[in-house]
Amino acid sequence: MQGRFWRFVAAAVLVNVAVAAPAEQQIKPVVEQVGEEVRFITCPIYRDTDAGRKSGCWLGDRRETGTRFDITGSPTKPDWNHAVLVEGRVVEGDTQQCGGVLLEPVRVSVLHDQNCTRHMLPAEGFTGRRFSLPTRNIRPLYEPRELPKPPYQEKSFDIPFDFGRDYIVYQLSDYYIDKAVKYAIDIDASRVEITGYAATTPTTVSGQTLREPAELALRRAEVAREWLRRMGYPLDRVKIRAQTKAKVSDMEGADGLTEPSRRRVTLRVIP
Amino acid sequence: MQGVVVRALLTVMVVTMALAMPAYARDWWGAGEGRVFPAVADFPNEHGTLRVLLQDGPLDTRGHPFFEPLGPHGRACVTCHQPADAMSLSLASIRQQWQTAGARDPLFAPIDGANCPDLPHGERDSHSLLLDHGLFRIARPWPPRDHAGKAIKPDFDVDVIHDPTGCNLSPRWGLPSDDPHVSVYRRPRPVANLKYVLAMGFAIDGKRGLPLPLDPDTGKPVSGNLMADSRVLTLKAQMHDAARSHLGFFERLTPAQIERINDFEMRVFTAQQQNRLGDSLDAGGAEGGPAKLADSEPGRLGSQGIGVWSEFAPWERADDSSVTPERRALRESIARGARSFRERTFLIADSRGVNSPMGFGNPMRDRCALCHNMSQMGMDVAPGQVDLGTTTQPFADQQPHLPLFRITCKGEPHPHYGRVIHTHDPGYALTTGRCADVGRITLQSLRGLAARAPYFVNGTASTLREVVEYYDRRYSIGYTEQEIEDLVNLMSAL
Ligand code: HEC
Ligand code: HEC
Repeated sequence: MQGRFWRFVAAAVLVNVAVAAPAEQQIKPVVEQVGEEVRFITCPIYRDTDAGRKSGCWLGDRRETGTRFDITGSPTKPDWNHAVLVEGRVVEGDTQQCGGVLLEPVRVSVLHDQNCTRHMLPAEGFTGRRFSLPTRNIRPLYEPRELPKPPYQEKSFDIPFDFGRDYIVYQLSDYYIDKAVKYAIDIDASRVEITGYAATTPTTVSGQTLREPAELALRRAEVAREWLRRMGYPLDRVKIRAQTKAKVSDMEGADGLTEPSRRRVTLRVIP
Repeated sequence: MQGVVVRALLTVMVVTMALAMPAYARDWWGAGEGRVFPAVADFPNEHGTLRVLLQDGPLDTRGHPFFEPLGPHGRACVTCHQPADAMSLSLASIRQQWQTAGARDPLFAPIDGANCPDLPHGERDSHSLLLDHGLFRIARPWPPRDHAGKAIKPDFDVDVIHDPTGCNLSPRWGLPSDDPHVSVYRRPRPVANLKYVLAMGFAIDGKRGLPLPLDPDTGKPVSGNLMADSRVLTLKAQMHDAARSHLGFFERLTPAQIERINDFEMRVFTAQQQNRLGDSLDAGGAEGGPAKLADSEPGRLGSQGIGVWSEFAPWERADDSSVTPERRALRESIARGARSFRERTFLIADSRGVNSPMGFGNPMRDRCALCHNMSQMGMDVAPGQVDLGTTTQPFADQQPHLPLFRITCKGEPHPHYGRVIHTHDPGYALTTGRCADVGRITLQSLRGLAARAPYFVNGTASTLREVVEYYDRRYSIGYTEQEIEDLVNLMSAL
């Protein structure tokens, strides 16, 4: 009887230790420095944490250094069937939510032509991240909004893109392009000049040469034009241009990340 | 020995007939009956009572184009959009009509009420998809045309792999014909609560990364939530489509007819009013039933306002001592189902429209109300074309009675299925011509479910329980028996 009791206590302690383990464990970068910008290609890992809706974790192992990064914060999250290009900045932060070194800001681009074997880890005691609405979101039509007041200024708006895509990223790019198009319409702009950029200059990432196709610059510009059309801005006042070998920019939507700042569309709105 | 067999056969027949016959007679509304559509009408169903409201009072339907037969088949809109069936059409009503009126009833017109128009009319086998699954034939032009009627160059090829109805390989009706069409088989969608279906909550369609689609007639944005494949963008375009395809009415509807149909469609609201114990769904602080629905603002996002099905939150602690314990238990179960719908998470994977291209990730942990997110209505506030897998392999339930198509993507492969896809109904892709849209079906409203089984676009769930069981399989949810029961009770109360 007593023996059984002690065995029970021991088991309980063991279970507790197993559950508590991540909280004790120090999760530190292996090679990278805090503040460093990293860029790598990997197969994503989903960690099935549950703190309510949209609270699962995404991890990416940087194979070159062996560091496991927490890439959950990206506006575009991975697809477990495809490789991802990860671009982000190493920060000190809560590593107990997901179990990886935090990248913040971070961008993930899904590389659809590179397959991965899907892999899911259990929560293993990690808490996950409670969902909160991203600050960059489009407000519903039924909410009142403020119109710009004259005198109207010429303004430029930059719209960020994922690597290789012309999709307007939900709750990131849409926030910026919506602002641009609404401004053009609200002030009845006399002209809008769209420039689409593509990062065609090759770079080497995780042993692969990455470059965006040249025609992507125009496709991105055309998407911006389609936004103007669908929201009711007259297309005869729109000029579009495409530019390859995109340079680094200070676009707000890239949050200070170097390579993502090249992939963009600029709308110049002229009163 | 023989006697036993015969008796066994008889029992089987009696049981089958009992299953086939509705528990009570349905109130069938035939084309051109000229009844008055009342301001309030209640119809019994196995889960309680459905209520249909007509805002601004009763309507004399004599000469009304929704109710009068148009075209050669003797059909009207009401033939397939029955008040007793929440303005859709239940399988029970279809079978009752077959038994009482027979194959000559306009409902069974060969053009879409038979598996293929060239099958021998009147034989049960020729109408098996309608009689067994509640499905009408929908013929979509191939290659597709855009909303303005212009041909689209699709980025995929279609091959017919299995053609049990003969219609897709038919030289007259199928792909080999001079006027090639793809035939798919679908359930009617309810013609009620339409202000919600047409409401625009946001100016954008996040699933495409573009602003809402424009109606080619007016140049104005529209909700994009009509029809399983969004082939029409407005009620007016829908009327022309329905008049030609279902009624065989090839003259243009006049502006006056369009106006009258539109007026009726925008005034009619429906929802379950009483549960199976006769308890009103708006009693004890709850706000079920169609009155609340008719009075509320449409197109609101549940997660940023009134939670989806929070109508039943007051029943979470149904401490009202004036109700019987049995009624109290059902109230609590409905309220738990509502909370589960909003809060119980599971892993959603490989569903185009949410897992891609939106950046939510594949998989993502979320709830029923991720997709069914509109307050009071449970459809999608954004254009709701999502691939739940109901029509596409490997996620679709077995449906050997339906055609199977092989889709081969010519450009980029589909992000979840790859280059080759097998589907019984390509859905939205038949409208856009894009292989990335294969299997995407517009979310329906979830109102009046109790009155209009079977469910899903292809009727593969014959009961509400089977709906939940499909989700349980599809997303490996692991619901407990209690959770299933609560969700079923919730859905039967909508
Ligand atoms: C033969 C049966 C039949 C007849 C007759 C019929 N419909 Fe329908 N209706 C359907 C089917 C089936 C659908 C769903 C089609 C789909 O999703 O592709 C539908 C869908 C609709 C919808 C879309 C509702 C939604 O939420 O998407 C409306 C509106 C509608 N019908 C109105 C009408 C009108 C108006 C008429 C008469 C001019 C009419 N119907 C005649 C079978 C019918
Ligand atoms: C990933 C998005 C998504 C999620 C999550 C989701 N649904 Fe659906 N739901 C759909 C789509 C898309 C359809 C239309 C599919 C079809 O008709 O084949 C649908 C259809 C339905 C229908 C059928 C309505 C009718 O008129 O036939 C019911 C009922 C339903 N869902 C209930 C639920 C419940 C209960 C849950 C949670 C267990 C849920 N849904 C979760 C996307 C979703």
